[in-house]
Amino acid sequence: MATTVRRTRDVQSNRMSGRARGGDHRLTRGRRKREQSEYFFDYSLLFIVLFLLGFGMIMIYSASSYAAFQSYGDAAYYLKKQALAVTLGLIAMMVVANIPYHFWERFATLGYGVSVALIFLVLTPLGIESHGARRWFRIPGVGMQIQPAEVAKLAMILFLAVMVCKMGKGVRTIKGFVLMMVMPLPVVVLIWKVTDNLSSAIIVLSIALLMVFVASPDYKKFVAMGAVAILFVSLLVVYVSRLDPSTNFRFRRIQVWLNPESDSQDKGFQTLQGLYAIGSGGVLGKGLGRSMQKLSFLPEAQNDMIFSIICEELGLFGAIAIILMFILLIWRMMIIANNASDLFGAMLVVGVIGHVAVQAILNIAVVTNSIPNTGISLPFISYGGTSVVFLLIEIGLVLSVARRIQLKEL
Amino acid sequence: MKEQRGIRRKFPVRMQKKLVFLFMVLVLAFIALVGRLYWIVRENENGYQKQVLSQQRYDSATIPYRRGDIVDAKGTKLAVSEKVYNLVIDSKVMLSKDASGVEKYLEPTLEALGSCFADLNMTELRQYITGHPDSSWYVPLKRLTYDQIGDFQMLQAEENSLIRGVWFEEEYMRMYPNGSLAADVIGFSRSDNQGLYGLEEYYNDVLNGTTGREYGYLNDDSALERTIKPAVDGYTVHSTIDVNVQSIVEKYLLDFNEQYKNKAHEGNGAENVGCVIMEVNTGKVLAMASYPTFDLNDSRNTDALIGSNKYVQEDKENGYYEIKKTGTIINEAVLAEMTEDEIYVNLNNLWKNFCITNTYEPGSTIKPFTVAAALECGAITGNEHYTCNGSLEIGGHTIHCHNVWGDGDVTVEKAIESSCNVALMKIGQQMGKEEFARFQEIFNFGLKTNVDLAGEARTASLMFPVDQMGPADLATNTFGQNFNVTMIQMISGFCSLINGGNYYEPHMVDKITNANGATIENIEPRVLKQTVSESTSALIRQYCKAVVVGANGTGKTARPAGYVIGGKTGTAQTLPRGNKEYVVSFMGFAPVDDPQIAIYVVVDRANAERQDDAKYATRIVRNILTEVLPYLNIFMTEELSDDERKELEEKQLEITNMYTRKPEDDALENLEGDSANEGENIGEPTGEEGTGEGGSEEELQQPKWMSFPVDPGTGYRVDPETGKKYDADTGDAIEEGLDAMGSDIPSNPNIVNPPED
Repeated sequence: MATTVRRTRDVQSNRMSGRARGGDHRLTRGRRKREQSEYFFDYSLLFIVLFLLGFGMIMIYSASSYAAFQSYGDAAYYLKKQALAVTLGLIAMMVVANIPYHFWERFATLGYGVSVALIFLVLTPLGIESHGARRWFRIPGVGMQIQPAEVAKLAMILFLAVMVCKMGKGVRTIKGFVLMMVMPLPVVVLIWKVTDNLSSAIIVLSIALLMVFVASPDYKKFVAMGAVAILFVSLLVVYVSRLDPSTNFRFRRIQVWLNPESDSQDKGFQTLQGLYAIGSGGVLGKGLGRSMQKLSFLPEAQNDMIFSIICEELGLFGAIAIILMFILLIWRMMIIANNASDLFGAMLVVGVIGHVAVQAILNIAVVTNSIPNTGISLPFISYGGTSVVFLLIEIGLVLSVARRIQLKEL
Repeated sequence: MKEQRGIRRKFPVRMQKKLVFLFMVLVLAFIALVGRLYWIVRENENGYQKQVLSQQRYDSATIPYRRGDIVDAKGTKLAVSEKVYNLVIDSKVMLSKDASGVEKYLEPTLEALGSCFADLNMTELRQYITGHPDSSWYVPLKRLTYDQIGDFQMLQAEENSLIRGVWFEEEYMRMYPNGSLAADVIGFSRSDNQGLYGLEEYYNDVLNGTTGREYGYLNDDSALERTIKPAVDGYTVHSTIDVNVQSIVEKYLLDFNEQYKNKAHEGNGAENVGCVIMEVNTGKVLAMASYPTFDLNDSRNTDALIGSNKYVQEDKENGYYEIKKTGTIINEAVLAEMTEDEIYVNLNNLWKNFCITNTYEPGSTIKPFTVAAALECGAITGNEHYTCNGSLEIGGHTIHCHNVWGDGDVTVEKAIESSCNVALMKIGQQMGKEEFARFQEIFNFGLKTNVDLAGEARTASLMFPVDQMGPADLATNTFGQNFNVTMIQMISGFCSLINGGNYYEPHMVDKITNANGATIENIEPRVLKQTVSESTSALIRQYCKAVVVGANGTGKTARPAGYVIGGKTGTAQTLPRGNKEYVVSFMGFAPVDDPQIAIYVVVDRANAERQDDAKYATRIVRNILTEVLPYLNIFMTEELSDDERKELEEKQLEITNMYTRKPEDDALENLEGDSANEGENIGEPTGEEGTGEGGSEEELQQPKWMSFPVDPGTGYRVDPETGKKYDADTGDAIEEGLDAMGSDIPSNPNIVNPPED
């Protein structure tokens, strides 16, 4: 009996407009709430996430086993570490999903402060330098490494969601708009400058922008901003492309993006090798595990460049399937946001949507050389412990919001 | 709808709409990326597939082949390639961290290296490793033998061994087990398996194998597969050289050098001494040696140059250059001042094979050829008589005979026996220059013999052109002056003269086998032409026998005890005429009735006051044949005199001692043996025992010079009428201007002295 009820409700709760309900739903409000908190759970979202995680681990093993065996003598080295992070993340997700999300409201300002503090922690002896940048710090005694930028993303989502709610109609004013745009900037600049992590800075800024976009009633401002941004970027690109590549190194990244072959052995190497992987995969791919680019040609094959290995092994077909899964995930979260019981929950979900979508789009754009190369991982799939744990905490938040969905009469 | 304020308010519909709008924008972005992916695949699929395949590295490695051996006729190894190992240090691996991030390989590895390789400079090695942590290729020790690396490999193979970053690179090293033995014949090879000189160079391609390769490739399923194409080892070259004969020859060439070095002046016993022993009926070379020689295992050792004349390179226009002899004898002091280039010029000169590369005027050893040619073309029958007055006027020049007193009535046989120049010049006149030149070509003078050794000289330009040949030129040619030959030309031609006229191509190699011992090629004796008829050959054998056993024979001192041999001596003047420098030689065969081997010894400008004495060569021949003939199972035919028996017994004892004495006895024996030997059988150039037999006969005839009184001051006999001095024992004139050819005789402008070929 209970399962039937849940399924029907599940379906109906997804609808945007209220309709005449069947007898089952004519229950007292209190009972309904209790039942929801007891039974409602967005399994669709959970399955999509679990699929992406499982698929990600298969691809991590495929992409990294050769390099892992070469470096560590253990083909499953990266897989094991990722599996541990995923397990930790899933536990965290379930815990967060079962805590009413309003519990976190009071930590918004604290979280903002903590994330800023953590960024500075990489400068202490606890910080770990890798690939020429200090982006991690160690938790002493546990042997875990944490990337403060990931914490900052979660903290920013929480902070902005609370801020939107607190401001109320204030978001409509110019002052409110400016305030919402200015608040994330210190964190963005710190991530960019202190941890030398432009990509995470861009993502935090994008999350903030998307949340402000949804909260703000206006389109014009955003269209204008977009137009200015596009104009600026186009001018910059035209300017850079006219520079002599051999003498001017300030915009090396952009020059390499425009013409990766010009520096195929150094800066353009990763991009080109990724493109070779995608191109050589064809429509149906070489088959799972058959990538040749992962044989020590493609740097970070299990990490930022994992999408090119997916393209090489599974072809255009596999790539589109993964993109569809991301669209499904975002769609599912959009449904939850639009049915959220209150603005806070909705804004939390919007932030998570922004995080997942922006990161996925930017990652694929980098891999396909649609934008200049910058280190962005593919959510749920790329290797990276901190990233997957915090993403799963965010999914836990979304699930928690989903549990509070009320079937309201409109 | 009235909106709630605060945290509990609803998510407004306008925001929901914006979210839906945002979702659609995001989906559009994804679609755009799918479009981009599709474009990449459509535009570049084939090109990128090729690119991906082409940049795969299949870490292919070459496997070195083993250069083939050179062995002698009995299978004794003359040159072998031995596998050696280079120690390679990989600092990167040695300094790498284990799974728990600890550097723990460096110390155990260094410790093991230190304990196993005593030659290793550990401080230097440690400095290198810490100073070059990214280096993967550092070779501190080279050419270690398998035994030397054995201990270390045991340690490396131990379980839980912490040795990392040490590899052994295999390569082959050329070794010459007999050191300098047959150095000129064998030649040597560089580390890149390129042979230099001798058999190593001539048979370079045969000795070299094919490099193997280990490589990976992608199969149909794009999986990497590995294949090994093994190296094919080089073929083994079986030389006709017999190590025993060769070492006997070299022993006596060395003996000669020891005896005469620093005699008249500082330096070696002679500028060059060469010896070739050849099988008469096959053209196989049994031994070929020259002195000075060098150690094949250490071919660049400049000590071998000490005692030789210094040569310098004079650069000419248009990139030509000339190697010139200087009067300087190389000693330690000279060596220290020589530049690297100068040393190289002199080493190159040393490495040459005197027996095939140097050309010289043969002198009287050519006389059997002249007589054979005259017999063969019908100019003489062998029954002619000539009168020798000690000189002959030809073309306005006076050309002297070897015997300044004149030989009187001379038969053809006696002309050879006593080496009468006048008779030979008359025979030459009977033949005419065209016939003479034709036979020179028949005997292969001026042509290469094509012996299978690298570096045979071309002598075509060193012959006297027939169209420019005047009567005096023909005359000097008949007794071996004014044209140049090589030793190998002389002995190959001589073999054909005495074996019935079959000119065999001289050869050094008779078989080539592969690494498993299977025969690849048999090189059979090859008759190139018929030079003379059997009857002419028989006459030449008879004449040559007279040289050694005849009353006036010039080659009596060449006869080994118990054997009868045939042969011909030669004493050739060098350029410029009158320089008192001579190339003396003896060319012989044994046994006289059924010739099996021919031997040719050339002493190029002996280190003596008087160089024009063929005994320098005959004595070497006698010593060599005394040991070689019994070794070759050629039996004695003559009764031994008591002296000869005593001499042989001593020699036997000496040889036995050589192989049985203990190292500690060495010094003592040397002292005693040296003084004993000196007194017994080596003696002065004019030694008594060698000519003892002949001496008594000569006394009976009492040549005119024997009656001259001996001048007590100089030891020479002095003609009371003319005041000219003569050697007390031989009667040879001491004064200048009594050579066969005075400085007025025109000389062939093309020819050169031996070392300046």
